[in-house]
Amino acid sequence: MAKQNLRVVQIAGFLGSGKTTLLLQLSRRLSEERGLKIAMVVNEIGEIPVDGKVMEESGMKVKDIGGGCICCEVATAFAKSIADLARTFSPDLVLVEPTGVAIPRQVKAAAAMSGRTVTIEAGPVIVLFDSTRPEELLDPELMGRLVTAQLSDADIVAVSKADAVNEAQLEFARAAAREVIPTAEFIAVSATTGRGVDQLLERIAPGTEAGGDAANRGGIDPDSATRQGGE
Amino acid sequence: MPEEENLLDDACYLDHGVSGYGVAVKLHAEKPLPPEEIAGLLREMMDEIARDCVARGARFVGHIKSHLVCSQGTLKADTIGVKHPAASHGELRGPAKDLYVAINSIVQGISEEEVKQATLAAAHSLAERHRLRVVKEREHLYFDEYDFASDEEHIAQLQAQFENEPEQEDPQR
Repeated sequence: MAKQNLRVVQIAGFLGSGKTTLLLQLSRRLSEERGLKIAMVVNEIGEIPVDGKVMEESGMKVKDIGGGCICCEVATAFAKSIADLARTFSPDLVLVEPTGVAIPRQVKAAAAMSGRTVTIEAGPVIVLFDSTRPEELLDPELMGRLVTAQLSDADIVAVSKADAVNEAQLEFARAAAREVIPTAEFIAVSATTGRGVDQLLERIAPGTEAGGDAANRGGIDPDSATRQGGE
Repeated sequence: MPEEENLLDDACYLDHGVSGYGVAVKLHAEKPLPPEEIAGLLREMMDEIARDCVARGARFVGHIKSHLVCSQGTLKADTIGVKHPAASHGELRGPAKDLYVAINSIVQGISEEEVKQATLAAAHSLAERHRLRVVKEREHLYFDEYDFASDEEHIAQLQAQFENEPEQEDPQR
């Protein structure tokens, strides 16, 4: 039997950077406006998932993994979840929200472990960087080492909470992150105002359009993804 | 950079001294509390946990967040540190007596036991200040914010999960 292709996009970033709020908005818009069948995998420290607690709404499916971090402690459970989602739900796209302390490259490696039954097409790694506390986040005496490691894996740095700071503060945060990963695309994002969300949608699901039905157009076209330089 | 430092760059939260604690509590008020008071107590709770964690030696507040469900809807509140006042989201349709609150506290620099004590102390002190009683508490209760079921169905699911937990004594009796 042929392996199933599955596009997996990671929405990573440190604790409190706004991942969940953004993920909810992205998934709803991908489903409602672009007709995509979305599955979400969410991982959080400090909670244990309850089997079978998978919620569906408007074609979205959520798998919550607890008991540790999917980039290390429960990597196998994560890989199995990806494979199970492909088999039972056949989504166009899987959005993954790792814990705020996960290392994106390790999450990517864990997802690849499901490759025995599924061909994983790794979409862009989007790392959120909280514009309200850039100095705190990058302080090497605090969590700077971890945040730097997260940013280093980004294809796209989403400078988040753009509505909560002024343009100078936003630029400061962007410059601080750019020092860590100058090759990434930078997009200022606010899940509250919707700023930057259209750009992210285009990177996540290239070749699909608002008002469209991805299934009738052959789904997501990864070749149409182009770097547009962000803001 | 020495090899061991490179290894730390790939290390996960345990190696960075991050501790997380999650708990769910069922609170009960004799008289229904107005929506603005419920939202206020949730924000106060987040701020108090953050302050207490820092007082106990936490070097960094990662994320302290909560999710409240009651017959009048759901609310969320969170904070990312003592310099960042807690914010709440959502709206309740009216006053409520029974509140199901999930709290998840993640900080760096203190043990999980210390995070637990700070979290539970804030939950109990805020309940008392707002004339609520902690009826039940349970670690790792599952609150699913993606649950699109009705509030009634959601509460029934939560009650089922609390079923085996002993009811806490009412200090007023």
